[in-house]
Order: sequence, then structure tokens, then C-alpha cells
Amino acid sequence: MTQFLIRRIFWAIFLFLVATIITYLIFWVIPADPAALAAGKSATPADVARVRHYLHLDEPIWRQYLRFLWNLVGHQQLGNSFVTRQSVNHIIGQDAPVTASLVFGGAIFWLSLSIPVGILSALRPRSILDRVSMSFVLVGISAHPVWIGLILSYLVGYRLHITPIVGYCNFFPGGIGVQCSGPVQWAYHLLLPWITFMILFAALYVRLVRANVMETMSEDYVRTARAKGASESRVMIQHVLRNSLLPVVTILGMDLGLALGGAIFTESIFNLPGLGHEVINAYNTADLPTITGIVVFATVCVIVFNFIVDVTYGFLDPRIRPS
Amino acid sequence: MRRKQYLSLFMLVLGVALLVAATTVGAATSATQKASKSGIKKGGTLKLNENAEDFDFVDPQLAYRTDDWSMLYTTAMQLVSFPEKTGAAGSQLYPQAATSFPTVSKDGKTYTFHIRPGLRFSDGSPVTAAAFQRSWERILSPKMGSPLGVNLDLQDTIVGGTAFLAGKAAHISGIKAKGLTLSFRLTKPNATFVSILSMQWFTAVKPNTPYDDKGINVYPAAGPYYIKARNPGHSTVLARNPFYKGNRPANPDQIVFTPNVDIDQSLLQVKAGQSDLDIGGVPATAAADLAKTYGVNKGRFFVGATSCVNYMAMNNARPPFNNVNLRKAVNWAIDRPAQVRLLGAFAGKRTDQMLVPGIPGYRAFTAYAIKGADVAKAKQVGGSAIASAPTLNVIHTPTATSTNRAQIAEFNLKQVGFKINDVPTPATNYYQVIQTRGTSYNFVTNGGWCADYFDPFDYLNVLFDGSKLQAANNNNYAYFNNASFNAQLAHAASLSGAARAKAYQKLDQELMVKYAPVVPYLISTNRYFTASRVKNWIYSSYFGSPYFNALAVG
Repeated sequence: MTQFLIRRIFWAIFLFLVATIITYLIFWVIPADPAALAAGKSATPADVARVRHYLHLDEPIWRQYLRFLWNLVGHQQLGNSFVTRQSVNHIIGQDAPVTASLVFGGAIFWLSLSIPVGILSALRPRSILDRVSMSFVLVGISAHPVWIGLILSYLVGYRLHITPIVGYCNFFPGGIGVQCSGPVQWAYHLLLPWITFMILFAALYVRLVRANVMETMSEDYVRTARAKGASESRVMIQHVLRNSLLPVVTILGMDLGLALGGAIFTESIFNLPGLGHEVINAYNTADLPTITGIVVFATVCVIVFNFIVDVTYGFLDPRIRPS
Repeated sequence: MRRKQYLSLFMLVLGVALLVAATTVGAATSATQKASKSGIKKGGTLKLNENAEDFDFVDPQLAYRTDDWSMLYTTAMQLVSFPEKTGAAGSQLYPQAATSFPTVSKDGKTYTFHIRPGLRFSDGSPVTAAAFQRSWERILSPKMGSPLGVNLDLQDTIVGGTAFLAGKAAHISGIKAKGLTLSFRLTKPNATFVSILSMQWFTAVKPNTPYDDKGINVYPAAGPYYIKARNPGHSTVLARNPFYKGNRPANPDQIVFTPNVDIDQSLLQVKAGQSDLDIGGVPATAAADLAKTYGVNKGRFFVGATSCVNYMAMNNARPPFNNVNLRKAVNWAIDRPAQVRLLGAFAGKRTDQMLVPGIPGYRAFTAYAIKGADVAKAKQVGGSAIASAPTLNVIHTPTATSTNRAQIAEFNLKQVGFKINDVPTPATNYYQVIQTRGTSYNFVTNGGWCADYFDPFDYLNVLFDGSKLQAANNNNYAYFNNASFNAQLAHAASLSGAARAKAYQKLDQELMVKYAPVVPYLISTNRYFTASRVKNWIYSSYFGSPYFNALAVG
């Protein structure tokens, strides 16, 4: 197990290096001149030259990358925004809880819906429930979150006045310039974003759970358990669900990382001041340090989630460890 | 009889209850809502959305964008400023913190202001001349890292400015602050100096305000409001300055800005009363319906002129647009009404000149076809040079509106016989490409300029003085450089009063009739929609927005 853990840690470090190198190259080398962007639209050539030197952009690329990496690893610094000059660490610190609220809340929603629906569909294939759930899957996969978000906020927020149209409240009371806060307001404001965020993933997971359960139910050991006289509930819980939901854990770990990307749409529609929204603004204003910082942060999240899943899976299924 | 007694008793109890309720509610209301003499109720929280991104800075010496300045105006106390009045009256400077306009020495180089006594910051400390000295030092300090003042050559305007910018002096020697007297010693006479002081950079800041290149977010202000709280990207909260005793309006108790709201969602919020106004305006596609439903400037849907002129630029420094006849041909060829329609109903007024109404020297004229493209005239003016012109690199950003704008322009150019190479360019590179001297573009479809201060210098000299061209970051991205015109611009800048206005009026016309370096096509308007509770709409064409401190939601 120790060897397995060490191997996984080294693999995570390797992925991190590759991801940061690619990110660095994409965002710092390809687009024109970051010094001119940082100096501002009205800067003189002397200003641009000063900024270029200040940002060490007059150094060879490999040295720039090593400096970037050293600031990242040695000082945990992602630099400062070109636009607002705020620390990118601070920006991410402000925005990450919002995105986490959306992603983890959405995950709870989609798991709560998809697991029971998927199981019931698998138990009664071609029943009305199965056909309805498969229709939902089709709609969920086809409909874009922006469209779903706009429809929900128009109907539920604007027409029916059940929820706010857009907006966000902090979970913890207080804070700078906070207009509303507390767990109830937090959940109330996130209800529509969670539903919007949930639909795509729930659709995918219903199908995944249904397929896994159906496949597991036809396994020999399930037939054996039934032949030994085990009750149907025992067969389902001990043999079918335990085995069929194991892949869901793996996929969930990866999807939580990927969901950071999906959050961009939901955050934009519902004005949630999270990382997705921030990265769009940064793109619009060519704020390269902020874009790079958020991409690096998202990369680390994906690597960490995958690492946790790998290790957890290793514990749950001993066959994984040697591989 | 008994039933009557019960009824009387019930009515008595009900009456007393209503009386108590009315008294209580009245007392509670009067605590937060006060009717002014004009009938405008004070109080409440004004909730403003920003469908664009958040303010980049709220530090007055680092802020530059239009939305930054319109917000900072509510907190600002300046030597001279614009009053909260609509129309032309709103563009007339008045002495705000100063007792009067400055006295100017005979040589035109020394300006002396006297500050009104009794002005206070929101923390109760007095506003003295040193507050205005500090604002100059913060805009020019090398520790602030602001290229803004440098861009307008402010360091060359004031004696000692260059040494201060270079870090060779602790203070700007040309600015003297003693008690309530403030004097500026200029390097040479400058007719725009008082106008320059109306920019938000020169608002009073406490003399001990630190130099901070990241900018300050919360600080004492001397205007009707101060920034009480700010969480960048999340919200900005303004509260009334308890020490402000002037006559500028301060109607809401507080003003809350929420940034980054999707523009369509924001409109729904305002319709539902969950927000009072989006300071970024309404979706272009919604303007016609809003006008139909609510009327224009009749209570909820407002259209107001701005100081912004939109134009397309031709690269005068390289073929084919180093040929003035081809530049004129393009001005005949571009379909201005189609470009305006692209931006939705009430988007603005067609134009073919660079100055806008309200700027001294503005006088409307028509030199080209502003009612639609005149292809025949364009072909006639361009002549055989059109057929022999090299393929035009037409550059634009890849947003939907920019792409559509470029498509219309390219269609017009093809109609007269130009060959086109469409070059969509990401926003990250766009300004670098067009502002770098020697660039390979021929035609820019995204161009525009809004007033930093109400003076024609800020349009004509800043955008067309070829003697100021540099290697990169040029505002003159038409690369227009005509020695005679440069000299006339310099001469006009040295004038004042009516002679100055007349000189710029002539230059505005000459620029387009004789040289036609660009294709102005629109003086833009801003379109706003308010919640039903919002009253007292007073619009500033300088900021292109209402005065937020004047809006009433009580």
C-alpha cells in the first residue's frame, strides 16, 4: 500500500508540472506581449519596458517558468492581477468558496436524484419510470445549462417569485460589504443554480447507475447469493449496489474537478461571484495572471480529487493496488 | 343593544390599534425617509447592478474607466466639478470645493484656489489645500505605478512634476498648499488646466493617504458619500457622509453596487424590483420593447446622450489609406445608419465628425453621406486608385457585435471595389496590434473615444496630433500625422475662451473635410431602465449615467 501511495504522489507531482508548463506556455508565451497588457492601454514604450523588466519578461522563457514555479511552490504566490492589481491568491480565496458551494451542493443534488432513479430504472427496465427517466436523461444531456438557467430563473424567479432571480449570499454571517448571509439565505439563493448545475450530471449519472446495476444483477455471484436463499434486499444492498456504485465513486472524483469548468455557465447566469465568473472576466480584460492562477488552481483541484479517488479506490478494491 | 355595545367596543379597539400602528409606522418611516422641500424622499438602499465587470479601481488616483468615475463622483469633493443637472447645464463647471474659479497670474502660469472653510471628510477631519496636493502627488508618484497621469503629460504640466515622477523629490515643487490656499505653478500657460481638474483623479484625499500601487478600497471621502465597504468582484457599498453639509443631493441612505450580473437577468431583476437599475444599461434587443411599454424619458426607460464618439480608423501611414481620396471614398461608402441599427433602438445619433455636442467648439456639419452609403459618390471620389489598392486587412474583435459591424463595413468597402482580408483578433491582442506603430492593419472597425474632460483638446489633440506618435500604445491609431494640422492643434490648445472654441470648430471640420483620417459614425447614447420606485432621474452626459446620489428610492 505504501508503494502504491508513493507512486500516486509522484504521478500527481508529474501531472502538476506538466499542467503548469502547458498553462504557462499558453497564457504567457502565445498572446502577444504581457508587459504591454500589464502596463495598460495608454502606457508609453518606456513604461512598457519598465513593466517588462519588473515582471522579468526580459528573461529567457525557461527562467521565467522556473521563477513562476518557485513563486508558486516556494511562496505559494500566483502573482497580481494586471487589471485590479489584487493578489491572485486573494481573488481565488474569495471566489473558491462560491464555486465550491455550487459544485458540492450540485453534486449532492445530482447524486440524490440519480442514484435512486438509476436503481429503480434498472430494477424495472422498460417500465414507465424507466422510460420517463430515460427521457429526462435525453433532455438533460441535450439542454445547455445556460438555457436551463435562463428558463428556471425566468419561470421560478421572475414569474412565480419563488426564488431570487440571481444573486449569492455568504454561508457564514458577516463579511465585507455583504448584503445577505447565513445558511438559509445561502441555500435559498443557490437553489436554482444547484438545479441547473445538477441536470446535466444527473442525466449522465442516471444512465451510469442504471447500466451498472443492470450489469451487476446479471453477475454470477448475484445469482449465487439468490440461490443460497439471501433475501432480495440483502442481495441488492450487499452484492448489487456495493459493486455497481463503485465506478460511480471514480467518476464522481473526476467530475468534481471537471465541474469547475461547467460552473462557468451556471455562475454567469446566476451572478455567482465564483471562479468561473472570474475567469470569464479575466479573459475579457486579458488579465493573464488571474487566468493562469485559476487554471493552476483548478488543475490542482483535479489532481487532488483524482488522487483521493485513486487512494480511496485502492482501499476499497485491493485488485487496483497492484495495477 | 348588547350587540351594538360589542360593535362599539370593537370599533374603539380597532381605531386605537390603527392609531398606534399609524404612529409607530410613521415614526419608523420618518427615521429613514425624509421628504425634502422638492418632494423627493430620502432614505432606503439604492441597489445597482453592473452587467459589465466590476470597477477595476475605486482608488481615485488609479481609477479611469467611465463606470469608475461615475461612482466616484458621488464620493468626490473637487476644486471644480459638474453640477447634478441635466443637459447643457450639467456640463458647465462650477467651483465645488473652491470658493470661486482660480485667480490666474498675468503670465498665465500660476493658478490660485481658495478652499471653502468647513468642508469635512467622512471621518470628520477637515478638508484643506493639502488634500488636493496629495491627489496630484498620488497620481504622479512612482510608488503608485499609474500610467494615467503620465499619458496626459501631467508631469510636464506642473513645475517639479517630472522630478517628482522620477523619484527625485518628496513633493511637487510647483504645488503649494498652505491652510485653505492652494497654488499651482505651471510650466507654461494651459487653457485646459481648470477643465483637467474636473477629472476624478483630483478629488480631495486625506493628506496621509498612503501610496499603494494596489489601490485603496475604503477611505474617507469628502463628497456626499463615502465607500463604506468593498469586496472586489462581489459588491461595493456607499454610505452617506455624515459630515457633508453641502447642497449636493444625497438621497439614498446607502448605495450598493453588485457587479457581473448577466445583462438579461439584470433586466428581469429590475422589472421584478429586486434591483433598481443596471448602470451598464439594458440589452440592445430590449430597448424597443421597453420604449413601447414605458415611453422614453417618461419615468422608467431613459435614453441619454454620452460624450462618446464611435469611429472606424484607417491606417494613414501605409497604402492604400495614405491616399486622402481613398479615405474620403471610404467615408462616402460606409453605411452609417446600418451601423447604428446594429446597436438596437435608441443607440445614438449618426455623425461624421469627431467632436460631440457639449464640447466647446462643437458645431454640427455634414461632410459625407450620413443617411446611408453613397456608393456612386465613393467610386467617383476614389477613382482608379480603388482598383489598384492592395487588399485591406480589416481588423476587429471577435465578439458578435464587432463581427457584425465588420461584416457591414466590409460589404460597403467591397461595393466600391476594395478587396478585403477579414482579421478577427482576440481582445488580448487587439489594442496591442492597432496601437503599435508600423502595424499591418489597414482598417479598424472598433474605435471610440469618450471625454476625459469637457474640452476639444481631449478629442482632437489626443487622437490626431501626429507629433505625439510613439512606437507603441498610440491613441492615434489612424497614424494621422500632418505637420500643418499638428501646428494648428498646438495653436488652438494655446488659446482660450471664444477664440479657442472657434479654432477647434474649424479644426473639427477641416479634419474630416480635408483629411478624413477616420470614419466617425455614431455619437452613442446610453439606455437605462429603472425599477418603479426610482425617482429623481438626473442624467449626466459626461458620465453617460444618472447621478447616483440624486436618485431617490425612499
